[in-house]
Amino acid sequence: MLQWLQALVDGVLVGGVYAIVSSGLSLVFGIMGVVNFAHAEFLMVGMFVAWFAWAYLGIDPLLGSLIALVVVFLFGAGIQRTLIRPILKAPQVAQIFLTVGLLFCLENGALLLFGANYRSVSTPYQTESLRLGGIIVSLPYLLAFLMSGLSGGLLWAFLRFSRTGRAMRATALDPMAAKLVGIDTDRMHQIAFGLGVGLTAFGGAVILPYLTVYPAVGAQYVVLMFTVVVLGGLGSVAGAAVGGIAVGVIQAFSALVFPVQLQNLVLFLVFIAVLALRPQGLLKGASA
Amino acid sequence: MTEAVASPRAAALRPGRAVLIAAVLAVALAVPLGLDPQGYPIRVLTLTLLFAAMGQAWNIVGGLANQISLGHAGFFGIGAYASTILLRDFGLSPWLGMLAGMALAALAAAALAVPTFRLKGHYFALVTLAFGEVMRVIANSWSSVTGGPVGLSVPFAPDSLWMFQFGAARPYYYICLGALVAVTLVFWRIKAGALGYRLRAIKENADAAEVIGVDTFRAKLQAGLISATLTAGLGTVYAQFSYFFDPDTIFGVATISVRMALIAIVGGVGLTFGPIVGAFFIIPVEEFANAALAGRAAGLSAFVYGAVLIAVILLKPEGLLALFAALGKRWRERRR
Repeated sequence: MLQWLQALVDGVLVGGVYAIVSSGLSLVFGIMGVVNFAHAEFLMVGMFVAWFAWAYLGIDPLLGSLIALVVVFLFGAGIQRTLIRPILKAPQVAQIFLTVGLLFCLENGALLLFGANYRSVSTPYQTESLRLGGIIVSLPYLLAFLMSGLSGGLLWAFLRFSRTGRAMRATALDPMAAKLVGIDTDRMHQIAFGLGVGLTAFGGAVILPYLTVYPAVGAQYVVLMFTVVVLGGLGSVAGAAVGGIAVGVIQAFSALVFPVQLQNLVLFLVFIAVLALRPQGLLKGASA
Repeated sequence: MTEAVASPRAAALRPGRAVLIAAVLAVALAVPLGLDPQGYPIRVLTLTLLFAAMGQAWNIVGGLANQISLGHAGFFGIGAYASTILLRDFGLSPWLGMLAGMALAALAAAALAVPTFRLKGHYFALVTLAFGEVMRVIANSWSSVTGGPVGLSVPFAPDSLWMFQFGAARPYYYICLGALVAVTLVFWRIKAGALGYRLRAIKENADAAEVIGVDTFRAKLQAGLISATLTAGLGTVYAQFSYFFDPDTIFGVATISVRMALIAIVGGVGLTFGPIVGAFFIIPVEEFANAALAGRAAGLSAFVYGAVLIAVILLKPEGLLALFAALGKRWRERRR
């Protein structure tokens, strides 16, 4: 019983990070209608930014996550401008393969620049944990969860209340009408893409204290992120939060029952099942 | 484009084109006679023909049915594993193993299709991506049967057609050429036949096709099954040609699934000769880049790969054939 409770706690903590990482992907789809297959690579980029900030400037990854957010926001806005904008109205096959090409370029670009080495950071809280009854709560997991929750809350408030956030939602609902009332939809797309990949990079940075970064790390998250997003409903940022926690808990529970190698298999099967049964997501009535 | 003509059968059989095809085939048959049967060039050509056939098999689903699969490596690997395991454990001829692999792939495709073939666009791409990954995880973890992450070697058998093993590359060249011709004929038959018309109707407007009586699910399922079966057969050919494979290569997203699609896209999606042109562009370039940069810059060839994909999509999404057609037209106009 206790080990299931422990798995639940672990699952929720990891799932919170999955939620913020995937909300970026959902945001991009919700506002631009583009499924970004390269999205997980921005998590890798964020991890590298945070690692370099730690290694050369001595900044803790939890603070470095803000640098990652800003750097990758600008990087993403540039990519949106040069690569994504021309294919916004193109057939889906063009959108799929452009982002798949981008995935290869980012992963192998990192390999060319940084080499295949695994890099990790060392922080004072890395091995700390809290004990609540029989449950062990690892401190780096808890901190990553709290940072994710905080940024998720800020994202929600931004989309809900700020002028830009409302303009972005209007763009998602009806780009034509948004244009008619004077919203610069091109700019909204650019902000949405930058923010989407920036949030994912932020998520990558906050998990750096308990993981290692290497060029292929993004590949671990491709199907995971899509599972989260599809569970919550493609395009729904609030859904990504629910999906993230669900995937975290599913992973933690399946680790109790199946050998480690099969952990991802369970995830993929859940993914296929969700796509087959409820492609519109578990929560209906998506809102960006 | 000739492909836009109302009757593709008539367009495909124009006498000029028939002569051209016969000439290309004659050259393809003659080329190996001038090459060292053990040499590197013939190996590259063999691989090119094989990948052209794979691109063509993908083209049936991706080009005709307009369902973008990112998981064809799943079927390809099923073919490779089925024939190799049957050969290893029962000494069964890979030709029979190939049939078993094809049957297995058809089953897998049907099992995947029944719940998911109604999915379109992004969703279909995602579900096929996950399918390929499922196969990769299974091959990696079911070590007692698949050999696990180490991979499988094809057991050595003496030089014989029945055991599908040859000391030189030349016989493989002719087998791959035969496979390419066969898959291309299947593609062309589908495209020019009733199924092709149904698929085109679905591509233009699925709802309208449904209204005039096209069973859209059935048409897409047929295309999917044919494509998966052919891909599995080519998986066996690959296993016999390369003697060794491992789960991450044979079920790889970049190494197989995306490459199959890329070959079709670079040449021209949905065109009969698209994958052939695409493969003769991509594979030699890749081999050359790998040979020139061997080991010096890990990741460079894959990086270039991604860049080519992006460039094709941004500059000429219709593919090289359309580019050639445009250049040819300009040239003729200038001569006039």
